[in-house]
Amino acid sequence: MAGGSNSVWRSGWLWAGLAVVGLALYPQFVSRYYIVLSTEVVILALLATSYNLIFGYGGMVSFGHAAFFGLGAYAMAILTKHYGNPMLVGLLAAPVIAAAFAFVIGWFCMRTIRLYFALLSLAFAQLLYVIVFQWYEFTGGSDGIQGVPRPEILASHASNYYFALAVTILCMLVMWFIVNSPFGWSLRAIRENTQRSQFLGINDRFYKVIAFTIAGAFAGVAGGLYALFQKWADPELLFWTTSANPVLMSILGGMFNFVGPSVGAVAFVALREIIKVRTDYWPLVLGLVLLTLVLVLPGGIVGFVAEKARYLRSATKGGTQAP
Amino acid sequence: MTWDIGTVILLIMAGLTRASILFIVAAGLTLVFGVLRVINMAHGSLYMIGAFVAASVIQGVGGAGSFWLALVAAPLAVGLVGAVIEFGVLRRIYQAEHVVQLLATYALILIFDDLVKMIWGAEYKSVSAPAALAGSLSIGGRPFPVYNLFVIAWALILAAALWLLIYRTGLGRLIRAAVEDSEMLEALGVNIPRIFSSVFIIGAFLAGLGGVLVAPLGSIGLGMDVSILIEAFVVAVIGGLGSFPGALLGAGIIGMMFSFGITIAPRMAMAFVFLAMVIVLIIRPWGLFGEPER
Repeated sequence: MAGGSNSVWRSGWLWAGLAVVGLALYPQFVSRYYIVLSTEVVILALLATSYNLIFGYGGMVSFGHAAFFGLGAYAMAILTKHYGNPMLVGLLAAPVIAAAFAFVIGWFCMRTIRLYFALLSLAFAQLLYVIVFQWYEFTGGSDGIQGVPRPEILASHASNYYFALAVTILCMLVMWFIVNSPFGWSLRAIRENTQRSQFLGINDRFYKVIAFTIAGAFAGVAGGLYALFQKWADPELLFWTTSANPVLMSILGGMFNFVGPSVGAVAFVALREIIKVRTDYWPLVLGLVLLTLVLVLPGGIVGFVAEKARYLRSATKGGTQAP
Repeated sequence: MTWDIGTVILLIMAGLTRASILFIVAAGLTLVFGVLRVINMAHGSLYMIGAFVAASVIQGVGGAGSFWLALVAAPLAVGLVGAVIEFGVLRRIYQAEHVVQLLATYALILIFDDLVKMIWGAEYKSVSAPAALAGSLSIGGRPFPVYNLFVIAWALILAAALWLLIYRTGLGRLIRAAVEDSEMLEALGVNIPRIFSSVFIIGAFLAGLGGVLVAPLGSIGLGMDVSILIEAFVVAVIGGLGSFPGALLGAGIIGMMFSFGITIAPRMAMAFVFLAMVIVLIIRPWGLFGEPER
């Protein structure tokens, strides 16, 4: 888990700072194609990290996270395009609306555990998908909402990237403090041993609903950014195949690490772009990668690297026993 | 639309046709879950493969007997694919967490979707019902296709056959014991991996059978895997995962909701279906006939 000893903690901030500087300077050196792609990666990293609050930290397997992403996107699209609100109103409303739905859905879902939790979250998300798909007057039905207006300041691709990056970093910081707060540690305690945490006086269902709501809110922010960046919102954003993506990124990068899902988002988009120029069969490759991953590398990329690093460290220290 | 008795009977018959296909597919899904405790997300892909194999056999062989050949060949072919999945993938992850199983079978959806596209192309295909079952009968003064009656009859025969398999055969006894406590059964010297394989192959066979039977009812194309998966999933969950009577009841409910819903409020039908699932899951998370998760 993130955290640990003091020196690791400090070097963690050092690395994070370097990463932010790198991400800020990087658009100066690459073509527009990479800037557009990076904007998508940044937003997907936010989505995946928000999902990992409940998946990695809370131990809850939700298959309906796309619902909150989609609700955020529609909140942005409808408020700015149909009601003429400024972009910031949309971006603030997105998490509020997503969180409101997440609270209600989470409250019902927490009545069930494990597999049935996954099923119920999927059912709720599909219900919202069908409503968005059919409510033509309000959501544009299967056409979605095209032409989400962007403020002048976000006209260029680079400014879009910087805006998405800034919002994402802000959200990541908040999420980092949440997972390292007493609340975050209680959530891990519930994941590890629900009964013991109940004995300690933790109201596990309440904590889980709150975590679900927070995750929904940040997914809503990601959705709002996505609508702004793509200039559209369509029902596909709420579909269950979209819900699979943050699960996949968390697994790909490693769910037991704060930055794992972000690494997963980078790997996911990079892989997709590499494959798509060579073949039409991107889903096939994705399927094979996913299958290999769950069969061979359940810790994800970051988990794998961390484990190898631990082995190396113990070897250089002359330790005979691997942890 | 006038609501005379003929219309109502016709809607019920249409609902039963839909319910029959749903039951056959959901029965496989629920059987596999009951014994293996795995939700096979690729179940819809197996159904789609069944339909495409059937289309190839019917169009390739041609003639009067081709449909009957497809009715035998396609489920067997899909059963074989099921054997490969069980052996290559599922066998390694029975002990893993649900999310690993869900993701592995989700990966199979993506893989099969593209494989079907590679083999059969992205165009829609259609086949017609065999000549013996072509025409229609008059029910309540309205024409009703004979083929639909054939599908309903098949579902009823299959329900009876499954009941016999589970409650009147040696394999069925072992399956019921495996549902109760597979570890104990293994300790008694029963070859559990073989039972798991048999059950998964039977489940795949049922998906394939559903695919053949649905082929003459509509067009065969990519995407039918996901739509049937979601519907069969709703049926199995409403009835209770692992329960055959539940799948039968769930299929009936959803079939009727489709046929009446699409007539009364076409845009709301699908939303009502999911709403029904949400309500059942909230009140009885393990479904109408299921048992709470252990």
